[in-house]
Amino acid sequence: MVSVINSIDTSHEDMIHDAQLDYYGTKLATCSSDRLIKVFDVKGGQQTLIANLTGHEGPVWQVAWAHPMFGNIIASCGYDRKVIIWKETNGNWDKLYVYSNHDSSVNSVAFAPHELGLVLACGSSDGSISIIISTGDGSWDAKKINGAHSIGCNAVSWAPAVAPNALLDQSGKQQPVKKLVSGGCDNLVKIWREEDGQWVEDQKLEGHSDWVRDVAWAPSIGLPKSIIASCSQDCRVIIWSNDGTFNNWTSKVLHKFNDVVWHLSWSITGNILAVSGGDNKVSLWKENLEGQWVCISDVNKGQGQVTDGQSAISS
Amino acid sequence: MGLSLRFGLHSRPVLVSNHDTFIDHVNKWNMNDWRKTLALVDLDNPEERVFRVTRQSKWDISCVQWNPHASHAHLFVTASNNKLDLFSWQESNTKPECSMKGHSRNISDLDWSSFDVNVIASCSTDNFTHLWDKVYILFLFTIIICTFFSAGASQVKWNKVTNNCFATAHDGDVRIWDPRKGNTSLVYIAAHLSKIHGLDWNPFNEYTFATSSQDGTVKFWDFTNPRHDKGMLNSGSPVWRARYTPFGHGLITVVVPQLRRGENSLYLWNNDSLQQPVHQFIGHSDVVLEFQWRKSREGKRDYQLVTWSKDQSMRIWKIDSQLQRLCGHDAIDSSENEMSAVDANDAIETEPKENMTDQSLNDRIMYSNKTDSLPQQQPMNLTQEFSLVNKNIPNVKIEEMAVQKRSCKATAVSGKNSVTLTVRFPTNYPNGTIPSFEITESTVNSTRHKKLQKVLVDTAQKFVKRNTNCLEPCLRQFSAAFDKMTLEEKKTPDSDIFPMLQASSKLLQSGLFSAYQDESIPFPRTCGAKFCPAGYLVCFGRSKEAKKGFGRSDVTPKTLSELAVYAPSIRVRSSQSASGFPVYSSKSPPTPNSEMVSVSMYYKYKDRRPRTKSRIKDDSDLKPKDPVKSSKIRTMTLAPVCIYEISSLLTINRLLGEEYRIDLDNIPRMCQHNMKAALAVGRKDLVQLWSLISQISNPNLMSNPSFDPGSPWALNPFGRQMLESLMQYYQQIYDVQSLAMICCVFWSKQGNVQPPVVKPSASKSSLVEGTPVNGNITFLPGSSSDSGWNLLSIQKVKRSNSWSDFSMDDYRFAEDGDPKEKAIKNEKQQHENDCRLLDPSHQAQYEQYLRTYANILYCWKLLTKSAEVLKHMSTPLESHRGIEFGVVCHNCGRNSRGARCDNENCLMLAFQCVICHTGVRGASNFCLLCGHGGHAEHMLEWFQLENKCPTGCGCFCLNGDP
Repeated sequence: MVSVINSIDTSHEDMIHDAQLDYYGTKLATCSSDRLIKVFDVKGGQQTLIANLTGHEGPVWQVAWAHPMFGNIIASCGYDRKVIIWKETNGNWDKLYVYSNHDSSVNSVAFAPHELGLVLACGSSDGSISIIISTGDGSWDAKKINGAHSIGCNAVSWAPAVAPNALLDQSGKQQPVKKLVSGGCDNLVKIWREEDGQWVEDQKLEGHSDWVRDVAWAPSIGLPKSIIASCSQDCRVIIWSNDGTFNNWTSKVLHKFNDVVWHLSWSITGNILAVSGGDNKVSLWKENLEGQWVCISDVNKGQGQVTDGQSAISS
Repeated sequence: MGLSLRFGLHSRPVLVSNHDTFIDHVNKWNMNDWRKTLALVDLDNPEERVFRVTRQSKWDISCVQWNPHASHAHLFVTASNNKLDLFSWQESNTKPECSMKGHSRNISDLDWSSFDVNVIASCSTDNFTHLWDKVYILFLFTIIICTFFSAGASQVKWNKVTNNCFATAHDGDVRIWDPRKGNTSLVYIAAHLSKIHGLDWNPFNEYTFATSSQDGTVKFWDFTNPRHDKGMLNSGSPVWRARYTPFGHGLITVVVPQLRRGENSLYLWNNDSLQQPVHQFIGHSDVVLEFQWRKSREGKRDYQLVTWSKDQSMRIWKIDSQLQRLCGHDAIDSSENEMSAVDANDAIETEPKENMTDQSLNDRIMYSNKTDSLPQQQPMNLTQEFSLVNKNIPNVKIEEMAVQKRSCKATAVSGKNSVTLTVRFPTNYPNGTIPSFEITESTVNSTRHKKLQKVLVDTAQKFVKRNTNCLEPCLRQFSAAFDKMTLEEKKTPDSDIFPMLQASSKLLQSGLFSAYQDESIPFPRTCGAKFCPAGYLVCFGRSKEAKKGFGRSDVTPKTLSELAVYAPSIRVRSSQSASGFPVYSSKSPPTPNSEMVSVSMYYKYKDRRPRTKSRIKDDSDLKPKDPVKSSKIRTMTLAPVCIYEISSLLTINRLLGEEYRIDLDNIPRMCQHNMKAALAVGRKDLVQLWSLISQISNPNLMSNPSFDPGSPWALNPFGRQMLESLMQYYQQIYDVQSLAMICCVFWSKQGNVQPPVVKPSASKSSLVEGTPVNGNITFLPGSSSDSGWNLLSIQKVKRSNSWSDFSMDDYRFAEDGDPKEKAIKNEKQQHENDCRLLDPSHQAQYEQYLRTYANILYCWKLLTKSAEVLKHMSTPLESHRGIEFGVVCHNCGRNSRGARCDNENCLMLAFQCVICHTGVRGASNFCLLCGHGGHAEHMLEWFQLENKCPTGCGCFCLNGDP
């Protein structure tokens, strides 16, 4: 049963563009056109405003939490072409770093899996993607993929750090995967990988007929396949999957919606996709045992149940 | 040029009539009557015959056009704000004929029909395109078409070849209309991804036209085939206008004026080879705002291209037969004799034919406003100037403007720095005297002050020299310079200090021009849902009251720039602009004020829509009846952010995570416990799973580590095969919790597993015979499961047994030579792998299940559980980086890292307590100096009374100093 456990009146003065819970689900960060980022404590149903982060000079489009092993860190990006990394120390939130090397609005920001260290990627309307890396001694390093998407990059998302079908190397250890996926105004979804310190295009996925608004790489629980979801101005959500060592991605249209789809999010196990768009609606989608994607958000009953173990044996 | 940015950017002032020899432009930089003068220029005598018409309007003229029909050539129409004015030109005098009001917003384009003398089409950002039928010259106008588009049209153009056909451009789309068919468009073409700035019909073909767009391309279309363009020209910069040449297959393009990148040339292209322009018209020192074709004289073959630029000069370019030939126009077809005669004439006029590099000569006429109208250019007095200053300067706040004191105070902010500037205007300013600039408060040092002052003085002098007012340009320069200074300070790694300034060349290559505007910025999300790893879903959105903007189809806009239509202040701005989107200074990051662009405007617009329009779409019942104050609407548009508990949708369960036990020492008990936990949360399938696990893991089923006579239990259908099938099911439902638990039980962490070696089974059986059979464990299917046997320890014990067994075997087979020895090793490996209930070849996958599950437990803040799961991984997560204390084993003297000695022959607890002389398993303390120590509690006890080392080595352990 899905139930509302908390409802927070953010008192933002303008449209909210993103809301993000931290790793444990105890803190909420929201950002808005009023140029503010607000951090709330939502532990145990409370809704206490912890901090108002001011520093952006325009609407703030997206926020992201870093893995807690790095401390309480938020990255935000906005119309003012800046990416700001905020850190909490002893209850005070301060700017840790401001990255202002984009020539247009920065639309998306995403932290890499923690295995890669404190690294974040951001996509901008100037068409480039920046990868900002904390060197660990307080300074920051940045790499830029110029011209990643002509006209503009709208979304970035990191691949899980562990390759689904990676074989162990000699030392029995796996090298973490350094890949990310991006979507842009050229209607393309592109996969990038790091090779000798340089980011190169790995794959180009064509399928949308209008701007790609969001991409989301599904978390891996260890199954030998990679899944990416992308959504677009063309009102469609496409699920891209790759089930082997070959760079062979197959696409499947999840659904064609009635309005622009601009947001996607995967559940931690990577089997439920939350889709939201211009119609102000959120729907949840799940792949059933036959491999079909079905909308489950209308049904609130019995979702915790799965069929009994007998079917597992017979299947 | 004394034009302020505000007026200059949006002017679109030239229009040439083919029949009349007048050019018409709006003259609005003049101080006294800016925006109020219309000048007409006789193109045959441009130096002499300039006629000025004063008009009484506070609005700018956005478009003007002469009637294209010879019979009515004395008529011209102008558009200013939402009104069309018709004038007639008689005896060097203009007479206003009438005004046409019908649009509610500013008119973006107008076009006379080329077939019907009386018809004018006009389009506006109010989403209407009107056709005006002028049956009598005065007042009888009827609206033929009210159309309701998704976006207001930026261009409307009549077909040049056939009647009753016109095209409108809306953002990136083109619609073709037939006025006889009313409100449905004939054809809809999704032409460009970005805004279309210009549209031009082919003068020779009724079906084809060209569109020029922000995306830097010009596309050619045949509207009988709307799906695909017929050709595309990539100019590398956003194209403002592209017009067909009246001869051959040519096209002229100009870049978007707002770019202001120093590309002031016009390009001539041949439509048959679109890779390169065939000619470039160089000469204008600022961007070209408008251009038109003109036949130079009846009967002559030459054409003239009249261009009007922001440098306030008008140029007339002669397009001779050479140039025409470049566009594939064969000039030979006209009479040869006449041609030569005319050419001779032209030559006398010192017109170079080919030498296009010599710019000044190439211009046949250069008519400059600057010189011509100097007498009128009286500077404004201070009151006027203050009232006209555009206060919307990035990063600058004008705090005070006092006319009496003749001073102005402004503060510029960039990052953490701010500078307050006081400007004092002497009495004879701006007649040759510059104002004084003083930096009163600032957070930057004095060398910077000097730099800033120099910038200000330089700018002021430039303007004052021409007797123009300089406050606004000075402030803009000041802001830019200050911004640049602070930018240098906060220079980021591998960044260009000032990317925008250097960008133009770089951008040219990559084709990313639109970065300068909002065209490519996606329309912001106003609702969404995000999962949190801990099993929550957070949703944000608009409230139900916030409807989408009116007049849209169901689809939400694509770009942020589309907001311009909804912003009230933008509406005012666009009355001066032809394009209607806000333009931010490219030199500093844009800082939109709250009154400029806000997404909520899109959602609120419906409420403040004027009543009069509701007849168009009867949805008045949808909007709130009461007029609500703006701030209230603002909060109304926001819905609270909701957090949902969605763990019930997931196949993993937090309660189970808390309850599950991993206790490999007593598997039956563990299974029993976990079974109860599963029952408590209602997962019957898991109850079954745990009972199965309990059965499978019965120690009596465990096979002999050495080679068994039969196949090991794991290879039995109820062994590995069944487990695999179970796991397959849990994979399908993404139940990583169950998967990880299975792995914990059956995937023991006994070192790294070598990949199984595939061997022909025949060799196996032959070898089995030769190996000693270890018969001390028999297969007892019926034994009770709760016998308390320890699976792990059994395996371990057996392992060490087999090791010794095997070393004997080694000796035995040593004489037989290496290959056999190897084969046996492989065989043993194979057997070990076979004994495992989980297929070792999927090791990586098992590890990943464990890792993922441990991560999830971590999210749930079940840290101990998480660590327990991680203990079952065979590959260490990450080698520890940092200082680590090694222990020298008290028994064998070797270095050891764990609690137990690493030496396989020793395996004692490596660290011995100096007080009780037993090995330390748990918490320990020791002195960094003498290295003595032991059980933490023993040490605590000892040092409460003593300060010397308990061994009597003489070390003062508590002091810490050697």
